[in-house]
Amino acid sequence: MPHILIFKTNIATAEDRSKVAPLLNGQPFIEQWTVDIEDVDCVLRVVTAEPAPQPIIALVNAGSYECTELED
Amino acid sequence: MRYRDENKVQAIRESAIAMVAKDGLENFGINRLAKAAGVSPATIYIYYKDKEDLLTSISIEEGLKMTTATLKGFSSDMSFKEGLWVQWKNRAAFALDNHLSAEFFEQLRNSTYKDKMVEAISDAFQSAMGNYVKNAIDRGEINEMPLEVYWSVAFAPLYSLIKFHNEGQSLGGRKFKFSEKVMKETFDCVIKGLLK
Repeated sequence: MPHILIFKTNIATAEDRSKVAPLLNGQPFIEQWTVDIEDVDCVLRVVTAEPAPQPIIALVNAGSYECTELED
Repeated sequence: MRYRDENKVQAIRESAIAMVAKDGLENFGINRLAKAAGVSPATIYIYYKDKEDLLTSISIEEGLKMTTATLKGFSSDMSFKEGLWVQWKNRAAFALDNHLSAEFFEQLRNSTYKDKMVEAISDAFQSAMGNYVKNAIDRGEINEMPLEVYWSVAFAPLYSLIKFHNEGQSLGGRKFKFSEKVMKETFDCVIKGLLK
């Protein structure tokens, strides 16, 4: 069963999103990802095979964007 | 690990409908919704990708709920009069029990959410309604007429009564309360106008 991980980021525009895209696309453990750029927290939502947030945070950080997991 | 929590989904849906009904689409946002529903924004994102996804899903669900309620006990083979009365009773019951839902749809009018909702529900609903009217014309019960003319005579009077009821008053501030008696009286005039 896939896991859904939710992050607060500063991916605030379509341009930001296109910069992050190459980092997230093509990762075998990421099934699907979306960013809500209209939201104040610029929420990144990732459907993933692994319940681990750290690799995703590392990928987004590698693109010089902030990324912290949003807790329930 | 996050599991789907139906109580939370229900709280999110109900709050979203109430918020849109009251404040419209422009002021609607995930963070405000989270506060109103008593969940964290992260929880909402578990179930929906973004605001668009949320409003589209909810409007489709509400649309299906409305059409299911409207078609309850209805068959397109019914005589015109019997079928129309079932429709009136179903539509009145739904509108009175779900007035937030009706206001939600009103706010959605002219939005892309409404288009998607109509797309999702139209098949079953339109074929049931279309066949019913076609059968009535074939049996010689009513005349063929443009859809707008049909709707304005067949259903608009009912929605006018419901609107009076929701506002608590009719013309010139007269107090008004909906009842089956007033519905039947209006229906009798409508059916007289439509039957050949």
